Formats: sequence, C-alpha cells, structure tokens
Amino acid sequence: MAEQVLTGWRKWLVGVGDQGVFFSRFVKNIFSGGFEWSEFVRQCYEIGYRSISLVGITSFIMGLVLILQLRPTMVSFGAESMLPHTLSVSLIREIGPVITAIICAGRIASSIGAELGSMKVTEQIDAMDVSGANPVQYLVVTRILATSFMVPLLALMGDVIGLIGGYIALNFTDKISFFLYFNKCIAALDFTDFLPAFIKTIFFGFAIGFVGCYKGFNSNKGTESVGIAANSAVVTASLWIFFIDMIVVQISTILFYSK
Amino acid sequence: MEEVKDHIESKTKSGKKGEVVIEVKGLKKGFGDKEVLKNINLTVKRGENVVVLGRSGQGKSVTIQCIVGMLTPDEGSVKVFGEEVPELSDEDLKEMRTKMGFLFQGAALFDSMTVKENLEFPLTRVLKLKDQADIDKRIEEVLESVGLPDSGDKMPSDLSGGMRKRIGLARTLVVNPEIMLYDEPTTGLDPITSREISQLILEVQKKYKTASIIITHDMECAKLTADQVLVMDDGEYIAEGTFEELQKSDNELVKSFFNDIK
Repeated sequence: MAEQVLTGWRKWLVGVGDQGVFFSRFVKNIFSGGFEWSEFVRQCYEIGYRSISLVGITSFIMGLVLILQLRPTMVSFGAESMLPHTLSVSLIREIGPVITAIICAGRIASSIGAELGSMKVTEQIDAMDVSGANPVQYLVVTRILATSFMVPLLALMGDVIGLIGGYIALNFTDKISFFLYFNKCIAALDFTDFLPAFIKTIFFGFAIGFVGCYKGFNSNKGTESVGIAANSAVVTASLWIFFIDMIVVQISTILFYSK
Repeated sequence: MEEVKDHIESKTKSGKKGEVVIEVKGLKKGFGDKEVLKNINLTVKRGENVVVLGRSGQGKSVTIQCIVGMLTPDEGSVKVFGEEVPELSDEDLKEMRTKMGFLFQGAALFDSMTVKENLEFPLTRVLKLKDQADIDKRIEEVLESVGLPDSGDKMPSDLSGGMRKRIGLARTLVVNPEIMLYDEPTTGLDPITSREISQLILEVQKKYKTASIIITHDMECAKLTADQVLVMDDGEYIAEGTFEELQKSDNELVKSFFNDIK
C-alpha cells in the first residue's frame, strides 16, 4: 500500500519534471527563429473560428439563464433595476471567461491531444524529428500560441453574447431599451473588472494549448493511448483552468479590491 | 557545431564508394530489465545495401533508431560519417539527419497535408528552400522516381498501402539523403506491390548512390536488394554474408529463413 502511494507520487513528480522540460522546449523554440506563421494562422482558424458557434450559443444561454435565475431574488429585494449591473459584473469577471475556457478545454484540448496523440502513434512526429525538421516548433509552438491568442478573443465575444442573452431574458418580463440596458451594464464595470478577467483568459488559453500538446506529444504508442491523451487533456486542462482562476482572483482581490 | 557540420559536409560530398558511412561497435540497449541489443557490430559502406533479418521483437528496429539518434545506446559506439551519434548536440544531430532518410513501417505520412505538402515539408523546413519553382521541380522529379507523378494533390487517406510507402520513400528521397534506413518496407503489402517496392529500393540505391539498412522479414525483398545480409537473434547478429552464402548456412535459425526460397 505504502509502496503504491510512493510509486504514485514518484510518477507525479516525474510528470511535473517532464512538463517543466516540455515548457522549456516550448519557450526555447519560440525564439529559435523560423516561426511557422502559416501553421499558426491555420491553428487560429481551427481553434478560434471553429469554436465561435459553440462559445456563442453557450454564452447566450448562460446570460439568458442567469437573468432568469437572478430576477426573482432581485425582485424580492426591490433591486430589479440592478439586474444588468449584476449580470455584467458576474459575466465579465468570472462566468464568461471560465465558461468559455471550459468549453474550449472540451473542444480544443481534446482535439489537440487526440491529433498529436494519433500523430505519435502513427510515427508522424518521429518522421518529422528524424527528417531534421522541428516538430516542437511546427506542432507545439503554433498550437499553444494560437490558443493563448484565440481563447481571450473568444471570451470577449462570449461576454458580449452573454449580455445580449441577458437583455433578451430581461425583455421577457420587463421592457428595457437596448441602449439603456447596455449603458447600465457598462456603467457597472470598472477597468479592474475587465483587466484581470482578460489576463486570466490568456493563461486559460495557454493552459489549454499546453496540456493538449503535452498529453498528445507524450502519449504511448498504441491506439488506446490516443483516447487516453484526449480524455486526460480535457480533465487536466479543466483542473488547470480552475486553479489558475483561483490564483488570479486571489491576486486581483489583493491588488484591486482589498480596500 | 560548425566543425561537425563541415566534417559531415566534407565526408558526404567527397565520399567514395566503399567508404564506411555507418559503423556500430558493441552496441547495447535495454528497456527496463529487458536487454534488447546485447552486442551489435555493423558496418555499412557507401552505396551498399545491408539487409537485417530476424524474428519480431529481436531489436532490429531499435538498432536503426539508435543509428538515427531516436534512441540513446546504453553502451557501445554508433558512428555515422565518422561522428559519434550519441555525443552530437541537438543542432549537429539535426544536421546529420538531413543526410539520412528513414522510411517508417507505416510510411508516417503527415495525414493533414496533401502528398505535395508532405514532400514540401522537408524541403522548406530542413533544406530551407525558398524558390517555389525549384521546390516544384524537385517534387515532380521525385514523384516520377517512385512512379506516382500525378499524386501531388491527393491526401494520404486516398492512397493505398503501396502508394503510401512510395510517397514515404519520395519524402525521404526529396532531400537527397546519403543513407537510407528502411523499417520493414514491404510489411502488409501484397506480393506484387512488395516486389515493386523492393525494385524501387534497388533503383534508389543505383540512382542516388545511397547506403541502406533494410529491416525486413520479406525474403524476396532481401534476395533482390541485399549486398550483405545479417541475421539477428537474441540481441546479436548470428550470421553475416551475402544472400547466397547464407542460403548454404548450417545454422537452424538461418536455414529457417531461407527454407522457402527457391
């Protein structure tokens, strides 16, 4: 029993070390010249453009549902007019970035994990390596930078669509003009609401890309390992997202809201 | 690094037929408790085809993976163009690999790219060619060499097993390698396609003057392509000679390989 626990910890520590090495290879290859612009643009399209509908629909529903859930409570406090404020602060600060990141972890981390895992199984990564090309530069750098760039943009888009969903939900019961609603939403926001939220989406994007690439690149040789890589990429990326969220919220609370 | 690069360049450009390009001495490699390679000694000369025979799981592929630097030996010396492969830096190893071609068992084509993009990949990333006309000319030439001149726009999923092997071979040949390493080039192919691939290996040797190591179980392929045959068992070479010499061997394992050959 004790030996099993020790083996488990040893494996975990080896995994952490491996991720450190993988990270240093990633950083080294960003600056080693010969950046793969065309692959980066292709990945931005695959990761960003192809996630628009999924993130859009989810964010719209989230904004709509939040207003429907919040309304009865706010009405009982006589604070119905505060609904746009409440929604915009909760969406921009927390729900928008986290929901977008979780959706992207499911869609993107799994797809990167499965794609690179399958390339590993079919020896495509080895073929790149032995030809003298650089698989880290072509496959890893482009994907991690693309997720770090596109997830923040998707989160911004998700925030706006979520607010639109909230506006529609509010108009089921109350009549409020579009401009008044958005004025209220924007008035409730401060730069300190937006900035930490935006910064954390960059870290979310990085985590999604990094975990997907690491799991795919280090999958074992066997078809089963492709599924394992995809599954484990989603689970690990989701955990990272909550962990990063916790740290960024803690830091931003100390920096901006601790008066 | 520059010194190694210059050395490799001088070795490859001024190389003469008969010169040793691969030299393996006392190679040992294990995984966990299992010792896969126990004592491998191998010499390959320029323009020579060396065929390695052996049962599955005896470490034939591990040997060529050590030669190309994918695996690090536990003991022994692996020299390519006179340079000790395990001691090369990442950059020098990369340089060395530009002179070597490796045909994987499943061809390992990049399945998100067309055939043309697969062939462009080493030209633009490894040889750093910029001139599209030059790139297109090389691709056209090499596709012609493997007998698939009109396949440039096809995706790997549209190709048959034999065609994939040919394109895999074309992708390694497009950078004009000095050494070719074939990992079971005819496995999974029908006898006719296998013969065509074997013929192609022979043509590659003649046209590109490559030194080759061919890992195979296919005796037809071995008979057609081998200048020298090595038989591997339990992590060591147990027999060595020309195909005809080994056909007359008294060793039971060697005989079992040659039994069905007319």
